[in-house]
Amino acid sequence: MTQGAWICLLAPLAGAWTITVMGDTISRRTAAWISTLSVFVAFGGALATFVGLLRRSEEERAALTTAWTWLSTGNFEVGLTLLVDPLAATMMLIVSGVGGLIVLYSVGYMDGDDEERRYFAYMSFFVFSMLLLVQAGNFLILLVGWGLVGLASYLLIGFWHERREAVAAAKKAFIMNAFGDATMALAFFVLIWQTGTLEFAGAFEGAELMSSTALNLVALGLLGGAVAKSAQIPLHTWLPDAMEGPTPVSALIHAATMVTAGVYLIVRAHPLFELAPSIQDLAAGLGAITLLVAGLVALVQTDIKRVIAYSTMSQIGYMFLGVGLGAYGSGMFHLMTHAFFKALLFMAAGLVIHHLAGEQDIRRMGGVRRVMPRTYLAFLVGSLALVGIPPLSGFFSKDSILAAALASGGYGAILFVAGLLGALLTGIYTFRLFFVVFLGEPSPLVKQHAQGHDSGHGSGEGPWTMTVPVAVLTLLAIIGGWVQIAGVWHPFGDRLEVVAESLVEPSVVQDYVASAFAVGLGLLGMGIAWAFYAARRRRELPRAAAARNVLEHKLYFDELYDALFYRPAVWIAGIWRRWIEEPLIGGSITGLSLGARRAGGALGEAQSGYLRSYALAIATAVAVLVVVFVAVQ
Amino acid sequence: MTTALIFLPLAGALLVWLLPLPGRASGVLATLIALAEVALFAVAVGRFDFGESLQLVDRQSWFSDLGVSYHVGFFGFSLWLAGLTVVVCAAAIGYATWANRERARAYHGLLLFLTGSIVGVFAAQDLLVFYVFFEAMLIPLYVLIGVWGGERRAFATVKFVVYTMAGSLLMLASIIVFGLSQGTFDLVDSGVSSNDWVFLGFLAAFAVKAPLFPFHGWLVDAYRESPSEVAAILSGVVSKAAVYGLFRIAIAKFPEPVQDFQVPILVAATIGLVYGSLLAFRARDVRSVTAYSSMAQMGLIVMGLFSLNELGINGAILQSVAHGLVSASLFLLAGMLETRTGTSAFARLGGLARGRPDLATVLLVVGIIALAVPGSVSFAGEFLILAGIYAEGWGWAAIGAGAIVLAAMYMLRLISAVLHRSRGEAVRDEALDLRPAELAVVLPLLAALLFLSASPNSITERNFPIQRADVAEAAE
Amino acid sequence: MQGPDVTWYLVVSALLFSIGTLGVLLRRSPLIVLLSLEIMLNSANLALISFSRLHGDHDGQIFALAVMAVAASEVVVGLGLIVAVARRKLILDVDRFRVLRG
Repeated sequence: MTQGAWICLLAPLAGAWTITVMGDTISRRTAAWISTLSVFVAFGGALATFVGLLRRSEEERAALTTAWTWLSTGNFEVGLTLLVDPLAATMMLIVSGVGGLIVLYSVGYMDGDDEERRYFAYMSFFVFSMLLLVQAGNFLILLVGWGLVGLASYLLIGFWHERREAVAAAKKAFIMNAFGDATMALAFFVLIWQTGTLEFAGAFEGAELMSSTALNLVALGLLGGAVAKSAQIPLHTWLPDAMEGPTPVSALIHAATMVTAGVYLIVRAHPLFELAPSIQDLAAGLGAITLLVAGLVALVQTDIKRVIAYSTMSQIGYMFLGVGLGAYGSGMFHLMTHAFFKALLFMAAGLVIHHLAGEQDIRRMGGVRRVMPRTYLAFLVGSLALVGIPPLSGFFSKDSILAAALASGGYGAILFVAGLLGALLTGIYTFRLFFVVFLGEPSPLVKQHAQGHDSGHGSGEGPWTMTVPVAVLTLLAIIGGWVQIAGVWHPFGDRLEVVAESLVEPSVVQDYVASAFAVGLGLLGMGIAWAFYAARRRRELPRAAAARNVLEHKLYFDELYDALFYRPAVWIAGIWRRWIEEPLIGGSITGLSLGARRAGGALGEAQSGYLRSYALAIATAVAVLVVVFVAVQ
Repeated sequence: MTTALIFLPLAGALLVWLLPLPGRASGVLATLIALAEVALFAVAVGRFDFGESLQLVDRQSWFSDLGVSYHVGFFGFSLWLAGLTVVVCAAAIGYATWANRERARAYHGLLLFLTGSIVGVFAAQDLLVFYVFFEAMLIPLYVLIGVWGGERRAFATVKFVVYTMAGSLLMLASIIVFGLSQGTFDLVDSGVSSNDWVFLGFLAAFAVKAPLFPFHGWLVDAYRESPSEVAAILSGVVSKAAVYGLFRIAIAKFPEPVQDFQVPILVAATIGLVYGSLLAFRARDVRSVTAYSSMAQMGLIVMGLFSLNELGINGAILQSVAHGLVSASLFLLAGMLETRTGTSAFARLGGLARGRPDLATVLLVVGIIALAVPGSVSFAGEFLILAGIYAEGWGWAAIGAGAIVLAAMYMLRLISAVLHRSRGEAVRDEALDLRPAELAVVLPLLAALLFLSASPNSITERNFPIQRADVAEAAE
Repeated sequence: MQGPDVTWYLVVSALLFSIGTLGVLLRRSPLIVLLSLEIMLNSANLALISFSRLHGDHDGQIFALAVMAVAASEVVVGLGLIVAVARRKLILDVDRFRVLRG
């Protein structure tokens, strides 16, 4: 079982290494297939691990395996350790499975790009890093994986590095994530000094003895990292910009896997969060705020990928809400279904973008249904799943979170209302996108590309490497929710209970009430979108210029951070350079030499050249010496 | 063994100076000697027992009535610093050979002489021997920068020498007082002192060498005007002599003054960290960024040393090795950039990644290790240092953590300015990718960094013996 | 022995020394400075001989002879310098010879 884990982890790394070292000696296609193969091998390893875990009894479901000691000084020791348990196995399957499909999709999507080899090396490297993160057996290795996925994200967002916007977006993503890394590191320092170890088991045990201030600090530090990585408010501004990367990258990193790492972290470290309940509540609150704000901003976005990006932010808000309330199983369940339908949406969007030769502005699209009927279906399935219409996967997962909120007392009730509002917004923005892009008369741009593409793409909508993964994900988006039907059967939740016991158990009534409201509001949202964007006689959008302005500027967060951090840093650096550095560099030596020269000059006055003054000096000196001599006697 | 390690490069220098070989050939000879030194070092590592303290000792009496002897030997941690020296110097000499400097015999001879002196500093176990080698480092540097440097080399050299000498003379005074009061100048035999002034004399020299804020006035010009491989040695290795001195002498021999001055020193180190990082963030060319980044990293290392606990000190040693390799690589890469484009200024660079995959990959990898991406050896060092300094106060660790973000900012800025976006005006199509010779020089450094990133423990568990030696104890 | 006490000789010597010193310090003509120097030397001679008379041995007198020899050599050099200066028609003023200043 642990061998499966190692294979799962190392296969993508081997793939990335091979592609890097072989460089130009292998063709671009070969590089692409090496990468795809490596990720599928990883999936095989993950599957083996999963099966291996199934066969074990409940008590033995966590295994640690260490390669070598990574760092040790005195009593503190950290090994290159992997942890294999149901939580890790679930994530491994999602990452390598969905990842494999997306890498396969990239084979078609990135075909023809000059730098394909670099792309696939980076993709394999990303999968390796993400797997390291979820399989980490202690906090430090988790942080290593955490940082490396941030690095992979930087490399892939800035893949087309001749574009100034892409480079800037990549830097922004990395730096915001680095801030999260820093807060996590601080949390780890507290843990080291209080408990002496960063191993999960040891830290959790030791944490019981820590003061509540220390616990709050640790949890806050971890939350900071989670918020940064998962693009929750207030560290969310990097995610929309990250859409500068190729679409498969957005699908893999910024929808299915990396951004969900924050949720994983909270579940993995749940004992720490449970010991700092105010921080855990904060997590749920931030999730709720994010899901609302992101939903609102998505209403006015005109770039197809940015709508989906804000949708991701919003859905992760749901996950934070869930795990913040202690509904770990529900949160992870939504993580999985979201990976399916969000990746599906991105990839379907990618098919559209690819077909329209790179166009991403929805205002220039319309009637794509006529030209790409299968993509239309896939996108429809994805959208319905996202809004949470039964019996698609999103319904089961989102509603389990809402039910948990309903079952969590007063605070939970507020969050429940927020979640419901979010469901309404989801309905509106999702179907706004759907209707604008797919329905109606084909726009001029669409007609221009209606003939399909030339060589290499087979018929119509795209090569098999792109359409097959989309088809698979469509299927998963439909049936993926059927592993956890509230009140009927819940194998998914049960397996995770061993690792992270849920803090709330909604009753059957609460489940149904939550579902009823959620589905109702979702349908209402779809209806509103229909009224404004698809009906025969469309209603006019309300003007609301001020609100529209605020939303279009994404609530001015970017401007705020620029003013709060970037400008002051530049200003301080400038001040220091002028007033400290330049005098110090230039001045110190010239000052010294001037001083030396002046002192010399002053002393030089004594050498007047006058014979008589010299004589006087001699005479005086002798007289003084004589007096001293006599006095001393 | 240790004497051989010190005097092989010195003898080699003499050989290179005397043999009338033409330019490239003397460079090749020098490179071969440097590689032989690396091999000799490997043998020394093989012979070293990491469970024991001071080893590979050579001792000869010198001025017996004063208690001065030629006493050299290695501890675990100083062995790694010496290793860093020989590897970086070999790379630098290799690069100099490839770059075909003028008056090659003199140049290579000086580089070898520098190598030997630095190894001598790390091996010294007697104060006067330490002082001799410490000053001996200065002579070749003075000539190398002053003769082969850039346009403002005269100014840079004079400043560098004056600053260093000022510190060294104060240190000499301290050495004399210490030695006479202890009755011996030997570091192993002598006891501890609680004299603040003597401590400050030592501190002065090391504060200039590191450099520690605000004694860094010599830094930027010296790094900018030196030939790139000399800058590599300066920032990668020579600054670590300060680390050795601070740990082996200042901390080990002055436990009370160290406690008294701990906070002011930490303050200076922290200011240096933040100051260097911010100035690196706004610097306008590759060399300046690397120079200020060096200053910031040395501030971090000094913070680690003066946390006075195991985590911090081990982190400081690890980070010294890591930073040495990173900084040397960056300066060598800067040199390679300058040969191709005539400049290292950001405003005139850009777009170098296209068509030059080797250069892009190497610069990218070195850059991300420089910013201490989690998983890299510099991250391990930084983590240990900050974990150590946390015990002295959470504020230090918080500022240090903030510096992580700043490091990301300035390194990514450097990478993008050189590699990304559209082609700068100084970049022409003919600017080639890295040649095999250049790769041969920089890849070993990179390989070392990657190896250490996979297993930083190779160093940290071998700094101090499992049963504590007098050095580590004195630091507790 | 007849004559005044040794003390009085020393007084005269001191007086002569002071006159000579003042002459060196205050006069501007090199010739007069040399003259004053001679007076100082001779005052020293007088003191030496007085002490010789006091102690009753000849050490002082012999030393005085040595001093006379030195004085004579120094006068030769000094006068030679003055003659050289006069030959070049430069003004004989000590304050004008300032070339060797700092």
